[in-house]
Amino acid sequence: MAFSGNFMCTSFKQELLQAKHDFTNGSGDTFKLALYDNSASFNAATTAYTTSNEVSGTGYSAGGGTLTNVTPTTSGTTALTDFSDLTFGSSTITARGCLIYNTTAGAASNTTNTVVVLDFGSNKSSSAGDFTIVFPTPDASNAIIRIA
Amino acid sequence: MMVEGGKISPGIVEVQTTDHRGFTPEEVAERCLNKLISVSDTAPPAIKEQALAYKDHLSAVLVFYMKEAVNSDRTTIYNVLCDAGQKDLAELIRRL
Repeated sequence: MAFSGNFMCTSFKQELLQAKHDFTNGSGDTFKLALYDNSASFNAATTAYTTSNEVSGTGYSAGGGTLTNVTPTTSGTTALTDFSDLTFGSSTITARGCLIYNTTAGAASNTTNTVVVLDFGSNKSSSAGDFTIVFPTPDASNAIIRIA
Repeated sequence: MMVEGGKISPGIVEVQTTDHRGFTPEEVAERCLNKLISVSDTAPPAIKEQALAYKDHLSAVLVFYMKEAVNSDRTTIYNVLCDAGQKDLAELIRRL
């Protein structure tokens, strides 16, 4: 089992139509990013955060880090949203990919509804340093979540 | 009648890591600039050149002020350590 690419979770697409996700900065939902090793096996059918194969190490706690939302916008006919880069500081971590999930989906609390599966392409490691996930340029061609 | 659109896609993240250090102001400034300014490969050459020149100028300004912030924060930490009676540790921070 291993990471096999980036996937927008099918359950997320359905939940968008049910108004369960709000990416607005400040007043929106709370999204988190959890890191995993290459034993994790996620795809579009992944529906929830799991602790199975989640990484461990200095500077990282189960559940991962909380993301800062960037209020959705549009570019031409594409709607898009973004997150601020996330850093696990002073960390010693090795990870192959991550899950972004919503902890307040549908105005509930402690939810684990997945949004997207992201494959780093290879193992990435920090050693007593910073481990930073850099989100792509928030435009119609590259933004982390785009609806064209 | 054809209806266009409706495709939802994920972007590609990049991971940057360090080994026994933090990111330098130059490294952080580059990330910041990539968020602020995107120059298309297909832009007309004159516009592309002007945009890249502006990006370089902004980079220098960003790096300068990030260094100022780092140095100012060290001053704050220096004083916190001095107030806590950790003069030797404070001196180490001041000399960074």
